[in-house]
Amino acid sequence: MSRGNIFLAELLWSVIAFLVIYPLSILVLESFKIAGTSSWGIKNYLGFFQDTYYLKTFGNTLLLSLLVLMTTTLFGVPLAYILARYRHWGKTVFTALILLPIVLPAYAGVFAFVIFFGKYGTVNLLLMDTGLIEKPINFIYGLHGLVFIQSLHMLPFIVLGLSAGFTTIDPSFEEAAEVEGASGFWRFLTVTLPLCTPSYLAGAVIVFLWPFTDWLTPLILGQVDFLPSVSYINIAYHFTDMHRKYMGIVAVVVSSIVCISIFLLARWWVERRKYTGLSKGTTSEGRVIEPSGLVKVSAYLYMFFIAGLVLLIPIVLGLAAFSRRWVLEPFPTYWTLENFKLILLESPLLIQNSFVFSGIALVFGIAFGLPAAYLIVRTRVPGKDALDFVITLMLAFPGIAVGVSYLLAFWNTIPLARHWIIMPLALFARRLPYFLRMAHSSYLQLDISLEEASEVSGVGKVRTFFNISLPLLLKGVLVGVVMFFIMAFQEISTAIFLYRGGWETLPIGIYLNWHRGMEFGIAAAMAFLMIVITFILLLIISRISGGVLKAAWGPGGT
Amino acid sequence: MRKRIVATTIFAVLSMVVLMTFAAEAQAKDKVGWVGPVYKELSQSLNKGFKAYYKKTYGKDVDITFVRPGGWPVCVDKIRAWGGKPDADIFLGAGAPAHEILKGEGFLVPYRPKDWDKIPAEWHGMKVKDKDDYWTCFAPWIVTNLYNEKILQRLRLPPPKTWNDLLNPIYRGNIVHTLPYASGTMHETLEILLQAFGEKEAWAYLRSLAAQLARFSTGSTDTTQLVARGEIPIGVAQPQMNAMAARKDGYPVRDLLPEKTILVPEAVALLKGAPNEATGKIFLDWLFSMEGQKYVLEGRYFAARTDIKFSVWEKEGFEMATHAKKALGVDSFWDLDVGFIEYDLPLATKRWDDVNRYYEYEIYRKWSELKSSLSLIEEVEGEVKAAKAQEKDVTKAEAKIKEARKLFETDGKYAEARLAATEARALPAAAGLPTGLIIAIVIALLISVVAVVIALRRRPG
Repeated sequence: MSRGNIFLAELLWSVIAFLVIYPLSILVLESFKIAGTSSWGIKNYLGFFQDTYYLKTFGNTLLLSLLVLMTTTLFGVPLAYILARYRHWGKTVFTALILLPIVLPAYAGVFAFVIFFGKYGTVNLLLMDTGLIEKPINFIYGLHGLVFIQSLHMLPFIVLGLSAGFTTIDPSFEEAAEVEGASGFWRFLTVTLPLCTPSYLAGAVIVFLWPFTDWLTPLILGQVDFLPSVSYINIAYHFTDMHRKYMGIVAVVVSSIVCISIFLLARWWVERRKYTGLSKGTTSEGRVIEPSGLVKVSAYLYMFFIAGLVLLIPIVLGLAAFSRRWVLEPFPTYWTLENFKLILLESPLLIQNSFVFSGIALVFGIAFGLPAAYLIVRTRVPGKDALDFVITLMLAFPGIAVGVSYLLAFWNTIPLARHWIIMPLALFARRLPYFLRMAHSSYLQLDISLEEASEVSGVGKVRTFFNISLPLLLKGVLVGVVMFFIMAFQEISTAIFLYRGGWETLPIGIYLNWHRGMEFGIAAAMAFLMIVITFILLLIISRISGGVLKAAWGPGGT
Repeated sequence: MRKRIVATTIFAVLSMVVLMTFAAEAQAKDKVGWVGPVYKELSQSLNKGFKAYYKKTYGKDVDITFVRPGGWPVCVDKIRAWGGKPDADIFLGAGAPAHEILKGEGFLVPYRPKDWDKIPAEWHGMKVKDKDDYWTCFAPWIVTNLYNEKILQRLRLPPPKTWNDLLNPIYRGNIVHTLPYASGTMHETLEILLQAFGEKEAWAYLRSLAAQLARFSTGSTDTTQLVARGEIPIGVAQPQMNAMAARKDGYPVRDLLPEKTILVPEAVALLKGAPNEATGKIFLDWLFSMEGQKYVLEGRYFAARTDIKFSVWEKEGFEMATHAKKALGVDSFWDLDVGFIEYDLPLATKRWDDVNRYYEYEIYRKWSELKSSLSLIEEVEGEVKAAKAQEKDVTKAEAKIKEARKLFETDGKYAEARLAATEARALPAAAGLPTGLIIAIVIALLISVVAVVIALRRRPG
């Protein structure tokens, strides 16, 4: 254990302390302040759990989480099974399509569905024109709409986890069950599914946490009585009503606590039980079945249905982006490039900001993530597991919590938030786990003997890293880099609290254009532009890593 | 060796941060910052116009930043939060109460722009500029409601003409407005109702109106957007020029001037402690010049100077002047004749925060309770009426249901009102309509109990 490694660990810890622990503890401290006095206490928390309004919001959010989890599971289990087990045509295409929402910004989906399923959206207009219905059906405004939109956005997490599970289970378990006489559905329920618990839980946690994080979807649908939306409104609309502000912060802290506890609970649950088989020689493909005709047809129909819903997002946004005044008509009639002209001529700043901020965040990410991965995988520095843990925990923190805590922590005492560098810093802190994970797993795959050989031959550690490790790591790191960039590029929850005039990014531009004016086409065009950029980046990763599934989820399945 | 890795990393990161900082700060230009609730079209138009003017007059570029944290109340709160060290120079937009509050709290400095005398001092009782020069109106408008004519035709509904028309049950679920803390126009609407109808009646009205809503929008622009796209056909509390702007964009939106309304003097002021005060003053002078006023109209707000004639601008080939003339029906904004109320500005300024909070806590947060309470009251009222038509004695039930309505409208006690309505329904004379429902529920319960028992019996072990 060398001094250099310890020094590196100290350095990384100080970055974490400054960018994660310090702001988040300020956030927690702030939630104990009592409005109108300089005293502290748990009054805000008591108020939160006594106020029927906040309690109702909390209950609503929990209910939404449960419903979204149920829906995604219900639709995800068959889908994952089809994708993992059935031999069928177009596997890659379907997988890519179904996984697409992971990289699409959530708000893009909402806008598309509002256009398509709105009261006078395409579906309702078509139904009314054909005379099937008299009055428009309310497809999306309400709890059901929220469940639908959020479920579609979160479905890939369940599918990915489960299909990885279905693929990697040792086939001998199922064969044993078959031999014992359990067949078909029963075997699936009692053997296959329980074996997939860990990989299912990995996705299910992320799904369950989403309604505690997503403030924008409820806001756009006009259903604001959910925890993240209420805290957004309390904090972003009331700058001097201190009680309101503290209650908003309490709501953020409460949802963070819920998120972290559930995250830890799932982790503990998976680790408590052992799910490994004895045999090592499983095929990489897993069990693949040739289904019967009828099953195959319904499997295709099912996949087409889900993939179609996902595809609606880019298609509808594309239609809206290339048209103007698309109102009260099932399909646009007035085609134009004006929206793009407006974006490129009048606000190229947004695109520039998005690229600059995400780019700088990426540089920070690499400068931090590579040494961190190295420490965690290759050394025995004390506290490296804690480092890993803290960084992974960032996945569970709602974006609002990060944004608000940065605003509180870096305004007066350390006036970092007055400079635009806060934007890439916040993006870096929030999206770090994505890069670290990728770098981490590529390090794991890199055989240490190669590095040792180099060092034995008398080459120093630094040169070994640049000449031996880095080229070998490059593939995984590049995927991590692009993934990090995509996630930083579409981040809005944190940025919306930190941006000031002139620092707007594309996602903020989409939000503002949608919310504050009739510039609907421009918002759609911006969202479409983001989808195109994301798609190009995705193509790049799939080239690098040879598969979209791997690209989106990293090597190693879960 | 190892130290070098660390040193290189640190150096790389630090030097990059420093470089980026320098790159950003290198070209220092003349700057001016605006904060305010004006719409994007206006800020963009003024941005274009002022930049061109600055270049022409001073031979330099000017850097303009504009932040719109939200509606007026949000902007006022933002300026309060800056605590005298503003992040902008100009408070651009918002009506008289917002400016009066900021003036009273000492966040403004007086400045009299050139051509100040071209703005009227007062109009139908509403202050249009401050006599101490703290704020001046640059774009007046009137509080209106909007509707989407195509959707209303489709639904076979007539446009609602008066405030009371909006309470007609045929419009239920087809109306949208926002919250007073999110939008100054909504706040002014509350003031109009409070001052025109009296406090008690106004709150009763607002409770009933809330039951008519499809939902609350997140801001007045959100309301316009929903009406323009037809999602919800009627939008309450909207700036008058939104209809003009939407029509210019090709949406079938019309405005309704309700019988009682006010003028909103969208005004501008110089902030105390402004970092670029000198440029701010140049901007104010320009804004009230004929050229600046044209950019106001180009930004889809009505221009404020009294010496403006739309027909003159129209002859110069200025397209927006035609739209404005068509939207207003007169040649200058100040020729309008509308049913204005006598607006008590000091009172409105004083209770600004209280009104917003009362609405939010008593109506918005209890919205679902409010709706279910009112629907029960309406149901029972119908039953009582039906019983009366059958010549039953309903005096007791009638008294009770009246009490329920009073509890609902005047006191805002939704749960108590519900209780009173239930009691009224239970009074003997009122017909026993829900018996069918009760029988159905009992049967359903019985069946499920039997099912559960059977299921439990069948279970092995």
